[in-house]
Amino acid sequence: MKRGFVVTGFLLSWLPWVGICAAQAGPNNTALALAKTIAIVGGKLLTITHGTIENGVVVMSGGKIVAVGAAASTKVPAGAQVFDAKGMTVYPGLFDAETHLGLTEVASDANSNDLAEPSDEIMPHMHVSDAFHAETVHIPVARLNGITNAIIAPASQDSVAGQDAAIQLYGRDRDAMLLGRDIALAMNFEGSVRRKANYEGPSKFPTTRMGLAAQIRQVFLDAQTYAVEQEGAAKPDHKGPQPKRDLKLEALLPYIKGEKPVVLSAYESYEVEVAMGIAKEFNLKVILNHVTHAQDILDEIASYHVPVIVGPIYDAPRPDERYDAVYSLPAELRKRGVKIAFSSLGGSGDVRNLPYAAGYAVAYGLPYDEALKAITLNPAEMFGLADSLGSLDVGKTANVVVANGDPLDVRTSVKQVFIDGEAVPMVSRQTQLRDQYMPLTEKK
Amino acid sequence: MFAIASVQRGCRKLIAASTLISPLSLLLAQMSESAPPADIVIKNATVMTVTHGTIEHGSVWLHNGKIAGTGTSVDAPTSAIVVDGTGKYVTPGIIDPHSHSALGDDVNEATSPVTPSMMMIDAFDNSDMALYHALAGGVTTELLLHGSANMIGGQAVVIKNKFGFSRDAMLFPNAPRSIKFASGENPKRVYGRRNELPSTRMGNFEVMRQAFEDAKAYMASWDAYNAKVAKGDKDAVAPKKDLKLEALADVLRGKLYVQIHCYRADEFLTEEAIAKEYGYKIRAFHHALEMYKVGDKIAPTGTGIATFADWWGFKDEAWDAIPWNAVMSMREGVRVALKSDSNDYVRRLNQEAGKMIHYGGATEEEALKMITLNAAWIIGVDDRVGSLDTGKDADVVIWNTDPLSTYARAEKVYIDGDLFFDSLLQGLGTTHFHGVMHEAGFSGSDDEEGDGQ
Repeated sequence: MKRGFVVTGFLLSWLPWVGICAAQAGPNNTALALAKTIAIVGGKLLTITHGTIENGVVVMSGGKIVAVGAAASTKVPAGAQVFDAKGMTVYPGLFDAETHLGLTEVASDANSNDLAEPSDEIMPHMHVSDAFHAETVHIPVARLNGITNAIIAPASQDSVAGQDAAIQLYGRDRDAMLLGRDIALAMNFEGSVRRKANYEGPSKFPTTRMGLAAQIRQVFLDAQTYAVEQEGAAKPDHKGPQPKRDLKLEALLPYIKGEKPVVLSAYESYEVEVAMGIAKEFNLKVILNHVTHAQDILDEIASYHVPVIVGPIYDAPRPDERYDAVYSLPAELRKRGVKIAFSSLGGSGDVRNLPYAAGYAVAYGLPYDEALKAITLNPAEMFGLADSLGSLDVGKTANVVVANGDPLDVRTSVKQVFIDGEAVPMVSRQTQLRDQYMPLTEKK
Repeated sequence: MFAIASVQRGCRKLIAASTLISPLSLLLAQMSESAPPADIVIKNATVMTVTHGTIEHGSVWLHNGKIAGTGTSVDAPTSAIVVDGTGKYVTPGIIDPHSHSALGDDVNEATSPVTPSMMMIDAFDNSDMALYHALAGGVTTELLLHGSANMIGGQAVVIKNKFGFSRDAMLFPNAPRSIKFASGENPKRVYGRRNELPSTRMGNFEVMRQAFEDAKAYMASWDAYNAKVAKGDKDAVAPKKDLKLEALADVLRGKLYVQIHCYRADEFLTEEAIAKEYGYKIRAFHHALEMYKVGDKIAPTGTGIATFADWWGFKDEAWDAIPWNAVMSMREGVRVALKSDSNDYVRRLNQEAGKMIHYGGATEEEALKMITLNAAWIIGVDDRVGSLDTGKDADVVIWNTDPLSTYARAEKVYIDGDLFFDSLLQGLGTTHFHGVMHEAGFSGSDDEEGDGQ
């Protein structure tokens, strides 16, 4: 009995804290408010799909956008909570096409990292949704800069690294934040995947790009055979034992059937060409990733008619290249009609800086509207989520950002983020530290 | 940082750049030995002086490598070359007070926690492409530091980014000497995993104290010898000259600016206490991501900081980093500079400064000061560079738009009145560089030890 009292006392002493944390910050949990109608009024709307509306109105209800238009012609429903956005810029939540959110906390601390499974190069049955840590401190930090959606991908240590998930950067728990598990296959055809000897151990197959390519071909052939066996076994007239399920090969089936996209990473021109050759052999539906040093085959890349996640545009050029050879890559691809998206990976990998990469591409020739699209609608389209994300359109999920200026400019501050039509507390572990240590002269 | 390291692939390469250089830039390259024009006037630009406000439709006059005047008009001779600055912005050259560029993979002599006689100039490679990239980002002066593997690292070299000039011609003349110290996770990790001292923060600081005790004993032995000589003692035997102890003695004599890699609030306090105990001044804490917690205690010491704009979370001692650190520390009276510690970020320090307007509401002038005058102070060259003031070196950048915006590109970069980069030129845009560039096998970051880990 004594022990019971102790436990009860302990729990009671913590209850007020739990309440305060949930109300003030809580890493990702929502407030318990019921769905209500909110109207963002008076801001400059960057709609993505139908231009810019000065002095516009966005009405959100039941987690969806229910009206978008000019103030003069868009009715604010009676009883709606009005958010005054006069002088502000209003735009759809930003979408990061490749992150490690929830797979890593402190980069240098192995215990907090679930980035990749390097024991083998072919790991399509690794589902990042199984490792996604929804309570990561990184999510509120990114969210406060207007990032509302992201793809989570494994790190690029394996040639077939696993399957990506799509998330919303707010929600009561992991399941509420996962918009889609296994929505794409992460593949890497690049020299760094080779298993050359290093401080971690001796060489093993594959130590060359031909080894990588042969290995990838073999597993896709195996998956094709597996598909035939499984289909045969499923027929009513099948006789004999059921074939054993192989999770690795089974994971590849939606991809060899072209049902889901493969995010195919390659840096060099010849890597892009070899990888695209393999993709063609197996009818893969490709999203190219990086193509950082493929400036000499941009026309060829355009002829593939596949979308491209660019950069990071902060990758260093080659010593024989002009300083802006990579900065200008988004503009050069777009000029050739390629649909592009940006990701925050590379550089410091800080998700909150996604819009600045898009802005920097504008400095090097990418049209502004295309840059904005490349962090909203384009990635949503690439991953099959454009029905609900990527623009200020009626019927889409009410992920809306209000900022005091141009979203692509480093000087701009996000004032409020709405996710699922709800005003997200503008609090992160970092704002808490800031407020805790605010110089006395600044405290009101 | 770790992510950057993974991006940098491949070993050092020598690649001929000449194939991409246009005839025009070849011609300019051949002119590289000739003296720059005596007078240049940049006219009708938005001139951000850093020290005396921003001048709309202003002019900057460069004369014999120095700034000869700024204002709505200047008294330049009619023979001056006129550069139309209509719609452009002009700032002093950007200064990076924490760089490991152009040091190949020789950043860390990670074989002993005390290596003060290492001279970074001995590793300086003036054809490293990182210098070109920094130049194209408007960076004109850099402090090239030893890495952070050792509690007491090596002595820095200060360069002007005159890419295409010889090694000697790139050195910042008569710049003060700086020495790199470190603390926290890096030294304890490097030596701890070899089961050597230090493997803890208490080990770290004790290694440092012992080094200074050794230096004091060394100085005393020389003092005793010199006293004997002064008394005419013919039998006095000179102590052995020891490069390592000489360098430490120079720290105690105040001849070296002490630049300390340090993240955590408690460690700033310990470092200041040790500096006080042994009688030297700390010039700046580098990284300094927790300065916002103790800015009120550090401000009175006069120690500055060279910090990241918004890096965080990449290791335990960066876990409490917040992007308001720079502005909050500044408001507490600490002199704040931003720095790159990266071959990547050195290319856009102007944008990192722009973030300070977002995080904490710095004014444009305060933000610009963090990558110019305050950075110059940390290096000890603020009397020569870091602002557009008459008599200072003519290190000047012309930008296409407000340099603190995302959309800014450096269009022209002058160093000592000489044009070193012009983005309008075909090819590389360099005016003095011709030949081959080296690709460093290193990201330019502190956290790589370069010890074959």
